[in-house]
Amino acid sequence: MKDDAVHEQTQNLVQELRRGMIVLAVLSQLDEEQYGYSLMKGLEDQGMLIDQGTLYPLLRRLEEQGLLASDWRVESSRPRRYYILNNFGKKVLVEMTTEWVRIKTTVDNLLSNEKEN
Amino acid sequence: MKLTELYLDEIHHHLPPKNREDILKEIRSTLLDMVEDRNPDPSQPADETTVKAVLKEFGAPREVAAQYGAKNYLIGPRMFPTYLQVLRIVLIIYAALNVLGVVVTIFSQSSIDASVFVTIAKIVGGLFSSLFTGFGIVTLSFAGIERTTPEELTIKVDQEWEPDQLLKHEDVQKVKYTELAFEITLTLVFIALINFFLDRIGIYYLGDSGWVSAPILNENFLRYVPWITAYSIFDIGLNLYLIRTGFWDKWASISKILINVFKIAVSIAIIVGPAVITVSANAWKNLGFDLDTTAQQFTRGMNIGLDIILGLRIFSLVVYSFKLIYSNFIKGRHAYFEISNR
Repeated sequence: MKDDAVHEQTQNLVQELRRGMIVLAVLSQLDEEQYGYSLMKGLEDQGMLIDQGTLYPLLRRLEEQGLLASDWRVESSRPRRYYILNNFGKKVLVEMTTEWVRIKTTVDNLLSNEKEN
Repeated sequence: MKLTELYLDEIHHHLPPKNREDILKEIRSTLLDMVEDRNPDPSQPADETTVKAVLKEFGAPREVAAQYGAKNYLIGPRMFPTYLQVLRIVLIIYAALNVLGVVVTIFSQSSIDASVFVTIAKIVGGLFSSLFTGFGIVTLSFAGIERTTPEELTIKVDQEWEPDQLLKHEDVQKVKYTELAFEITLTLVFIALINFFLDRIGIYYLGDSGWVSAPILNENFLRYVPWITAYSIFDIGLNLYLIRTGFWDKWASISKILINVFKIAVSIAIIVGPAVITVSANAWKNLGFDLDTTAQQFTRGMNIGLDIILGLRIFSLVVYSFKLIYSNFIKGRHAYFEISNR
């Protein structure tokens, strides 16, 4: 019972942790243009699961914020919306990556300190 | 594919109008991609089981739409504090007007009989329905504003917040809403009384044709009515302001002190001026007290009593005003001084 509670709580917190990374994960994959489903599959293949309900609205928000460009194209008799980073988005991605590395280092340090103590 | 179209229709209902068609187009294309991907036999069109599984995975239509910013609340967080504030004021005013209604009903009847109580009972019953009406109007208005105001426009209840405000409010009195509501109601009743039913303030006795009232405030009192009405209205205005801000700030205190000065002036005028109470000989006789006093003597006594009451009132107004001055200006400055010294 107790282990179940630990597991459940961990899952909740991990989900929260993940939520913060999603934007970075999505941006990182969009230096080449992709449509929603291919992007999702690509992320999934690399171990980053994203909920459908989260991904598509997120892409729209990022486009509204001016980080992405998109256009509709008809492929194999089906229209698909392709997204790609624009110049602004590229710059944001570079800065976010730097920040991410900094956060990762800090947290790694914190975690290793804890083990030593 | 029928199932997919029904699913999209359902999402369509819940989406905000902005970009609705474009969003649906993208979801449709994604669903088709997913179905194609999951189809065990790509040479055949996907079967229903596959489609159902895909839709199930994509999620409930309402939840999908909600992710696109569809509003699933009546009044959102940016409006809610303002909504509560307005609601509080409106409900208090509604309640006050209803109590006023009761009083007006009582006094506009020529004689008091059982029908008055029936009317009062009706009005009190009506209070609840009118409070609901007020609640409904405010809520619907805000729901409307919520949906028509662009996202970028936020309505700020508080100005730019500064930690200094905590110091300012630290030892400031918080207002008590029920007390204020009660005061507003009583003041409204009072204004109505002295303006429209002055002749009803008096001695009531059982005459030949039921209850009769003999007014005791004479025409000398009339000249004070506009002044009393004026400060009463200021009082209501201040109370409404206090309900809005929620605490006594400097401006509220200054206003209250000014109103008190106004009240003191009117009270002094009444004491110094000619007698405002007259008890008619007829009414006095009809009261039937077995006393050796005449109506004139009783009138004189009443006027002296009134002067004493007014004197006490002046005293309490002065004390109250000084308390306000002390807590807002003297004590407050001291607190600032202490902190800046640290």
